[in-house]
Amino acid sequence: MTQTFGRLLQHMRDRWKIWRIVFFVVLGVLVGINVLIHPHHAEFGIDAYPGFWGLFGLVSGLAMVIIMKKIIQPLIARKEDYYER
Amino acid sequence: MSASFLHPAMGFLALALVAPFVPRDLWRQKALRATLVLIPPLLALFSVMTVKPGSYGLLHYLGQELVLGRVDKLSLIFGQVFSIIALIGMIYSLHMEEKTHYVTGALYVAGGLGCVFAGDLITVFIFWELMSISSVFLIWGAGTRESVLAGFRYFMYHTVGGLFLLAGLFLKYKATGSFAFDWAAPDVARYYDWLILTGFCVNAAVVPLHAWLPDAYPRASVAGAVFMCAFTTKTAVYVLCRGFHGWNVLAIAGTIMAVYGVLYACIENNARRILAYHIVSQVGYMVAGIGIGTAMTMNGAVAHAYAHILYKGLLFMGTGCILYAVGTARLDELGGLATRLPWVMFWYMVAALSISGMPLFNGFVTKNMTIFGAEEAHRMWLAIGMEVAAVGTFVSVGIKLPYFAFWGRKPEFPGTVRAIPRNMYVAMGICGSLCILQGLFPEMLYRYLPFAVEEPFRPWTVLRVLNASLLLGFSGLAFYLTRVVITPHAKVNLDFDFFYRWIGRLVLAAVCRPIAWLDDRWTKVYRTVGLRGLVKTGAGTAWFDRKGIDTVVDGSAYSVRNIGRAGAKLQSAQLQNYLALAAVFGLGIFFLVWYLG
Repeated sequence: MTQTFGRLLQHMRDRWKIWRIVFFVVLGVLVGINVLIHPHHAEFGIDAYPGFWGLFGLVSGLAMVIIMKKIIQPLIARKEDYYER
Repeated sequence: MSASFLHPAMGFLALALVAPFVPRDLWRQKALRATLVLIPPLLALFSVMTVKPGSYGLLHYLGQELVLGRVDKLSLIFGQVFSIIALIGMIYSLHMEEKTHYVTGALYVAGGLGCVFAGDLITVFIFWELMSISSVFLIWGAGTRESVLAGFRYFMYHTVGGLFLLAGLFLKYKATGSFAFDWAAPDVARYYDWLILTGFCVNAAVVPLHAWLPDAYPRASVAGAVFMCAFTTKTAVYVLCRGFHGWNVLAIAGTIMAVYGVLYACIENNARRILAYHIVSQVGYMVAGIGIGTAMTMNGAVAHAYAHILYKGLLFMGTGCILYAVGTARLDELGGLATRLPWVMFWYMVAALSISGMPLFNGFVTKNMTIFGAEEAHRMWLAIGMEVAAVGTFVSVGIKLPYFAFWGRKPEFPGTVRAIPRNMYVAMGICGSLCILQGLFPEMLYRYLPFAVEEPFRPWTVLRVLNASLLLGFSGLAFYLTRVVITPHAKVNLDFDFFYRWIGRLVLAAVCRPIAWLDDRWTKVYRTVGLRGLVKTGAGTAWFDRKGIDTVVDGSAYSVRNIGRAGAKLQSAQLQNYLALAAVFGLGIFFLVWYLG
């Protein structure tokens, strides 16, 4: 069973381009649905706009990764044996 | 003691007492071992599912009336999930033969359950310390040099935290004449309340008191970490909920924790340390919910604690399997494990989607309850902070960790992969199924929530599902765009433990140097004065001995020598042994009082 499942994953991995297309289509469909269904009175005010939570996730995710990896980590990263010396 | 309440901790304490006396070859038989270690969690589960709310187990100890069994909806729901994760943790450990693991694991669980059902601060403190001592052994169970050092740091830190609690409860007793453990109103809080709060916050890993957690948990043993991630912080969540709900300082501290944890997890390389930082983050939601203090946010905090114990246990089980199978949990050394450990990946992903709050999984029905409660209480900035943390959670635990461990740019993991024992899969299967079931049928969990709300929270509305899907989908896109930038590096990231270590060094210089100096002087004085006196006395007794007593004393000399040998064995100068011995003595005394009182 483990081998079959492993091979299935291998099979899916080899077709990663298809999965990428599926992913982008799903994102598009979600925004599309959000245009049709959106709250009448939103919690924050601006989250009534379609796709707000998508934009929120994208922007905060990008900002988090880029700020932490490019600015903060160079300041606080040390060699792995830093505390051992 | 009332007979109608079997304290859930009792079975675990009994297991810890009995296990050391089971003969080794019997203990090696898996069936017998399994029976022995699975009875306590099953008994505990039976007890919490059947007991009626009330006050049980009154006990006179240290001249005080102690309440061992305060049973109400709040303590019951924590007791329930503690029993379930103890059962799962024991199943996950079944392939292990080390008695120390089971004994200290059982004591640790007993400590957590004891705190949850404690009705007064003395009882809380006793079980609090039991938890702290026994968990040190779960760290040492890893058997590596770094785990020994981390265990000592962890123990010192929790001892200091415990002292805050002890000082607070004694000062409170002096001021109010009672050890009662009840809610402290924030507007009339006194300094002793703040001391107790500080003690609790150490265990809740409130930033900046959190750094013990990402220091110790990644270094604990594979199965030890599964136990630890469930009890220490969640017991602290329970006592905060009981004693300090509605404290605004917690609302803000909790949101800071939620964001701080994900930021550090974003740049961390060690898989188990990523998860440790996410404990800080997830406990942040609970602390914030407790701090806001409405029925909705507190229900959210309790529900999230329940869900968190399950999915975090599963996350540590999954990464534990990786560590067990290939000997490392560093992402820069992993990759391509999906085809070698497909079922580990499957169950890990169930937990990862749960913690991210993906619809269908239990994080979705609990995390959003706290956020909704914060919005309802018009705490918009706190709600936004929690949403940012949700994005970070999905990026780190939901995608980064599994991507670099199971896929990466390697087609298949090149090294040897040790086979995973079946009991580990069984434990993950139970835990993961619960995560999914609670996500699909939230009523399973909601019916146990302790606080009454006017309008119950409904997670499964079209809009909530849509919003969560958008948030997570586009967080995924953010990962896709930054997948090169986010590649983990083999580095250590400085955190607040940098400062703790400096405090440690200063204390060492301030205390140890003068003592060493004193000891040195004393040795010199003793050599000149004491030794001369001893020699003279010795000469006198030698004469006395030769003249008469020789024959009488010979027998007792043998016994003295034998006692001396036993003493020498105990005085091995290994702090670990002293610590264990002290715990055994303390427990022994407590048991006698419990039994006789």
